[in-house]
Amino acid sequence: MYMIEVRNISKQFNVHQALNDVSFTVEQGSVTGLIGPNGSGKTTLIRIMNGVLGASGGQVTINELDAARETEKVLAMCGTLTEHSGLYENMSGRDNLIFFADAFGLARAKERIEELVTLFELQDYQHRKVGTYSTGMKKRLGLARVLLHRPSILFLDEPTNGLDPDGIQMVLRIIRQLNKEEKMTILVSSHVLSQLSAVCDHYIFMEKGHIVEKGTEQEIVSRYLSTPKLEVEADMPNGWHSVTDYTPETISAYKATFQLTSREDIPLLLRQLMEHGQVYQARITGSDLESIYFAIREAHHHE
Amino acid sequence: MNNRQAIGALVRKDIRSVTASVQLWLPMLIVPLIIGIIMPSALLWATSRLELRSLGNVSFLLESLDALTYSGQIPQLASMPTDNHRIVYYLAMYMFAPLFLIIPVMASSILTANSFAGEKERKTLEGLLFTPISMDTLFKGKILAALIPSLLLSWVTFLIYGSIANILMYPMFGTLMFPNLNWMILVLWVVPACSLMVILLNVLISAKVRGFQEAYQLGGIIVLPLIALVAGQASGMLLIGPWMLLMIGAVLLLISFVLLRLVTLWNSRQQLAESQI
Repeated sequence: MYMIEVRNISKQFNVHQALNDVSFTVEQGSVTGLIGPNGSGKTTLIRIMNGVLGASGGQVTINELDAARETEKVLAMCGTLTEHSGLYENMSGRDNLIFFADAFGLARAKERIEELVTLFELQDYQHRKVGTYSTGMKKRLGLARVLLHRPSILFLDEPTNGLDPDGIQMVLRIIRQLNKEEKMTILVSSHVLSQLSAVCDHYIFMEKGHIVEKGTEQEIVSRYLSTPKLEVEADMPNGWHSVTDYTPETISAYKATFQLTSREDIPLLLRQLMEHGQVYQARITGSDLESIYFAIREAHHHE
Repeated sequence: MNNRQAIGALVRKDIRSVTASVQLWLPMLIVPLIIGIIMPSALLWATSRLELRSLGNVSFLLESLDALTYSGQIPQLASMPTDNHRIVYYLAMYMFAPLFLIIPVMASSILTANSFAGEKERKTLEGLLFTPISMDTLFKGKILAALIPSLLLSWVTFLIYGSIANILMYPMFGTLMFPNLNWMILVLWVVPACSLMVILLNVLISAKVRGFQEAYQLGGIIVLPLIALVAGQASGMLLIGPWMLLMIGAVLLLISFVLLRLVTLWNSRQQLAESQI
């Protein structure tokens, strides 16, 4: 069953077309990375998926509920952390959590707040005004806030923005934990793919309001790997030349790269190399998701 | 969704945001203090003791009073022994009444602008829109968060003013004169209706503008008819009786009802979200 179904969503702000015919599905229990540069429509899409913003065309269903029509039911099911975490700076961290717990109509709010304060290690700061918090502390409190009502879907809009490496690791650890332990479906947006590749199992790449690629890492990689480039580390006593049917592009004493025409060439080349020397390592270069992402972006940039 | 719990939370949060900001609560205390307590008390004290006919500045008021006495519009005036009695009675019971409408108008404007446009400015409105609070609950909470402090402020000022007026008038009249029926209708019927109307008008304005300042400036326009009311009352041209007050309250409520319809019509979650992007 799909937890999120986005069908042909478009959004126009006056003359600006923010989203154009965006369609995708998100499976229950998956962690999907919504990747794209600033201004590519990620935040607008998250707002529309929650039903908070109306779309100019198309439909979003969340757990079979129409997000635009049954917004309150959808919101009760979703937790959304936006870039401005929506916290009240003149109130303490704990008072913020108490307010939102009441706003959600939460029963047994005190226990849930204690649980989240402990999970996000906020014990020492909970009575301080949020205005005095660092970016990382605000992000943690913001996460605690959106988890108060135990949502089954979590939307995180640029959750690692402005965080130091420790903060980024903490957010990633929490994403993994929520996904594994609470089986939460998570959609996380970022303009930095490398930060999310450790947690996502699906990706949606966005560019200027369009989806330019989507799928699992393997699916995307295999789509762009028709002509792989292989980097081989080996000890070839008789040199690299004329030992195989393939001509290396670059050569150093123990390394050479081969531009192949298809994936099927890889085992052939490796077998031939092993007949003439010791092969220690071989890897396809430019095949990691990030290189592909930049290649896609580059291609769309020139369109 | 427990609506009462959410409304209560919204009211507490908004009231706390006012008490936490000196820029907000200070003018809300100073205005009632000056126009509701200090100025009326000083004028009542002065007019009860001074030789009024020798003062040039109050002659217009005395002329109005003479006219009112002869016309019988305020029957009590004819039986009063001196000009001081008449003028103190007129000031305390009639002339200061419209000033008391300025207090809820001012408080409601500040509170609503802070609550709606202020949330937009501080980027916290979106966080609220992402909660499953219904728009109905959100507006009820916001309206109550402005109405409750505004009424409390008006009523406390009224009680203090009433006590001072009675203290100053008792030695002259030998009986407790304050409040009369007009004041009771004003405070219990017109002030709540007026507060509600101002709040709803400001909610409409706040939802369309981006910041607190803008909302407050636009909302300030509503003070203009009040100034006309004060001038009318001072000149004796517009002497408002109980029936008239009841009608004013009813009209204000009617306007509030129309505004409420507009608020719910023009402010869906999607419209509010779009207005702050």
